Amino acid sequence: MALFGAPSTSTASSVNSVQSQQLKQQIQDQISQELAVANATELVNKITENCFDKCITNPQISLNPQEDGCVNQCLEKYMRSWNVISKSYITRIQQSNQ
Amino acid sequence: MSSISQAALQNLDEPSRKEIMQFIESENSKSKVQMSIHSFTDMCFKKCNAHKPITSGTLDFAEEQCLTNCLNRFLDTNIKVVQALQGAQK
Repeated sequence: MALFGAPSTSTASSVNSVQSQQLKQQIQDQISQELAVANATELVNKITENCFDKCITNPQISLNPQEDGCVNQCLEKYMRSWNVISKSYITRIQQSNQ
Repeated sequence: MSSISQAALQNLDEPSRKEIMQFIESENSKSKVQMSIHSFTDMCFKKCNAHKPITSGTLDFAEEQCLTNCLNRFLDTNIKVVQALQGAQK
């Protein structure tokens, strides 16, 4: 019984472990993916809000070239600002952990 | 949305479960930090650009300084408030 039983259970459990590994990877990838989408969505929303506020003070029938240029510059400035804040915040967290 | 079946989830072995829990925990704290950065950037971008139009896509020295000061003074304020409330509790 042990002679036949043991190998078959160990094969079964190793198959299960391979499946578990794959499933685990699939779950983790899905979580990462969803968080990346949430992060990007948040960035798009904040930039739209801030740059609309800053660049389109009097909405016309369409975006004029001036507004268009402003939005482009604003978008770039906002992303640079995000990086500055991110760097400073992480530095500060690291300092407070010491 | 989810392509992972319930039955498959129940067959996950213990080590994988543990790893997933750890993964979720670390992704969760990463996400919290990112969301804080979003709200700080929003707040400080507004403060630092309040009285001037956007005229370039780059940050000059003064603007960068304004952003870091804004963040650090906000965090100082946060600590102060917590300390004051802790003091009031005693």
